[in-house]
Amino acid sequence: MADTDEAAIHMPSNDSAHIDTDLSDETQDFRMLNHLTFLTDGSQGNLPKRGEKDFEPNPTLFQADILSASRQAMHNALAYPRLHHPRNQVIGIYAPDGPAPPSVAQAPKQMDTVPEDNDTQPQQPEDTTATAGDADAGPPKAAGTEMGVPAESCVYVTNPKGQYFKTIGRADRWNRVWLLPEEALYLLERGSLDIRWPISSTGCSGESETADSGIPMSLQAAYACFLGHGGLNMERFSVYTGLRRLGYTLVRAPGWYDDADEGDCSAEDAQTQSRQGPGLAGVFGRFMQWLSDSPSCPVAGPLVGLGIHRSYDDIYRKLSIIPWHDPTAPRSESRPTSPPFRVVFHVYKPSTPFRKSAPPPADFRIAVVNARETAVPTLAQMSALLESTPLDPPKGVKMDRVLSLRLRQGYRSVILAVVDQGVVSYLRVADSAFGKEKLYKLQGPKPNQKRGPPRPRAKGR
Amino acid sequence: MNAEPNLPIPISYTAGSYFIFSIDAVTYLRREHHICGVLSGTLPQIPQQNVFLGLPLELMAEEARLLVEKGVACIVDEVNVQTDGMKALMEADRQRYLQELQAQGTQVMQMQASRKEQQREEALKKIEEKKAAQAAKKKASQPPPPPETPATDSTTKDDEAVVGLFAGDRKQQQQQGPDQSSSRRPSTAIASHAMGITPATSHSLLPLEPSAQHKLPLPAVPSSYPLFAHLHSEGYFLSPGLRFGCQYLAYPGDPLRFHSHFLVVSTGWHEELDLMEIIAGGRLGTGVKKGFLIGGADETTSDLESREADDVRTFSIEWAGM
Repeated sequence: MADTDEAAIHMPSNDSAHIDTDLSDETQDFRMLNHLTFLTDGSQGNLPKRGEKDFEPNPTLFQADILSASRQAMHNALAYPRLHHPRNQVIGIYAPDGPAPPSVAQAPKQMDTVPEDNDTQPQQPEDTTATAGDADAGPPKAAGTEMGVPAESCVYVTNPKGQYFKTIGRADRWNRVWLLPEEALYLLERGSLDIRWPISSTGCSGESETADSGIPMSLQAAYACFLGHGGLNMERFSVYTGLRRLGYTLVRAPGWYDDADEGDCSAEDAQTQSRQGPGLAGVFGRFMQWLSDSPSCPVAGPLVGLGIHRSYDDIYRKLSIIPWHDPTAPRSESRPTSPPFRVVFHVYKPSTPFRKSAPPPADFRIAVVNARETAVPTLAQMSALLESTPLDPPKGVKMDRVLSLRLRQGYRSVILAVVDQGVVSYLRVADSAFGKEKLYKLQGPKPNQKRGPPRPRAKGR
Repeated sequence: MNAEPNLPIPISYTAGSYFIFSIDAVTYLRREHHICGVLSGTLPQIPQQNVFLGLPLELMAEEARLLVEKGVACIVDEVNVQTDGMKALMEADRQRYLQELQAQGTQVMQMQASRKEQQREEALKKIEEKKAAQAAKKKASQPPPPPETPATDSTTKDDEAVVGLFAGDRKQQQQQGPDQSSSRRPSTAIASHAMGITPATSHSLLPLEPSAQHKLPLPAVPSSYPLFAHLHSEGYFLSPGLRFGCQYLAYPGDPLRFHSHFLVVSTGWHEELDLMEIIAGGRLGTGVKKGFLIGGADETTSDLESREADDVRTFSIEWAGM
């Protein structure tokens, strides 16, 4: 081992395998952060380059100094506070019991809308009980739809300012934006939202008028309140924030809730049903197929069989006796997905125009898997998961030309986010159809092209 | 940075995960106990990237258990601590806490305002110097003006000041607080407003010492724990190894400064290994210039609780490429 170690030290140029790796793959030296000036606004520009690491510790003072400088830098970076300038401070209020209309204490403010308010007031107790009962029953229909917000929402913002609310939250008709637990926690964590404890959660005597106790929720309290709320766990949250930080937009998929049935793919399967054209051509085609298919009885005689073979294609077709999986074939009944292997997030690229009220079809679908609790999925689990995603056949000029791209793209795909204690690996699983790529058909014209200019046709006409 | 947090350090248990929120605890555990965990939060100063992450620190169940067994930390049921703590919060506490935050917020605001002013002054000075230099050049070709002081000096100093304000324990803050605010006078009108602050921990709001009813028993750990504890006792820093397709990555020193040496996979003492696994592991390790290490504890001696660390044996496998 020693020799290779030495070699590794003396030949840093050998390091090419490391260069194109992701920076976030390994712990970075926080000293690199010192090059950034934090407090100035808008200095979120370029990231520092990867630092040089040593091979192993040695008892030199030099190394000890660098290490302590690194640790100091890390300490400083982590100790940086989450500040809210009064000019653009966004305040959210924690509602532990889920969405509810404004309380009576707040109602006098909105005298104009009193008739409406009075209508909904009697429903409030009903609402809250429904929320409590449905906390695990899932689909955001029960209590939430009356107000137009998901039942798992637990923070509301009365002054939604800033770009984040373009993709985050749901507004009710009192002009408050309700946030789901992961949205609230993400915004708080990045220092964009100041969440307050409601007065009802504290032991304070409530002589104040508002629901806001004025006590800002700490990061620690926010994790305690929001993780474990409405199906959110650390694995899902790691994936959510990790992709959010990179600029993707994420929304919950129906599979988030354990008992939801996902009917994502019914529509496009129907259209693949009748592909064979009707009419005489169709009948003739089917007849010819029957003719060529029927006499092949591989057990009894030769594989290719007797008869007239006019092209190699016929022979190849007869040789292909191994059944293959056709992802475009319609399924009679869809198998149910089992909980860890189901689509939990719909992900949109930053370039995809996204509207909160009418989200477009997702760019990616992600299932979140805990590496410590789950083994490799079985074929049944995996194909049920793939069947729950819509058919997305490879298309485009490049795809049509390059075989390997087509195979890689597949007909359905899903991304597995495997989370091991905060470390996330993303795997893309696609349903490629090798059987649909007939190589004998592809390679037909190629030799002809290579043979040079086509021979002139019969002369003398 | 060298602050010693009060022992035992409370480890928050929420929704099946173990977290540490106090920056002092994080640096202390890293420095003294070689426990690194995984930073999983967003850094508020540069929130749109995944290279440098911030608090909270997520601990593996193995790390949490090791710390509890050493008596350095205890597991706390954070959800109940928070809800009960807030329920028990009295009006007087609320007022006191809000005033404290207000004071901190004003201080930060003043620091930022004064720094802005300082920067402005420096910028003005530079312009003047330039003008003077040009004038001097016009007069006669004289030596150039003295080298300009880098503007970053002041910013980093102030950053550290802000950081120091939030980082240290509260005693330190109180020492630091008055003389800083006396040395910097509020200069602009904005400084009268306080900056809103989201604290990282709830320590100054809730009782620091978790009550006995909120403490949880030892964390449940996977069967690889004996190997984990053994390698840790040998001075290795361990982190989750999924990125490299193994259970743990073993670093010879702090991962901030050193590359990892081993891909660690734990096996049972009597578990039959497929030779292919060893070859694949060796191949994988060599590909990233690390050794493939398998190990396990002798299960014949006794049960998991009373096993000695010496019962663990380890083997390192390397691709010889003959």
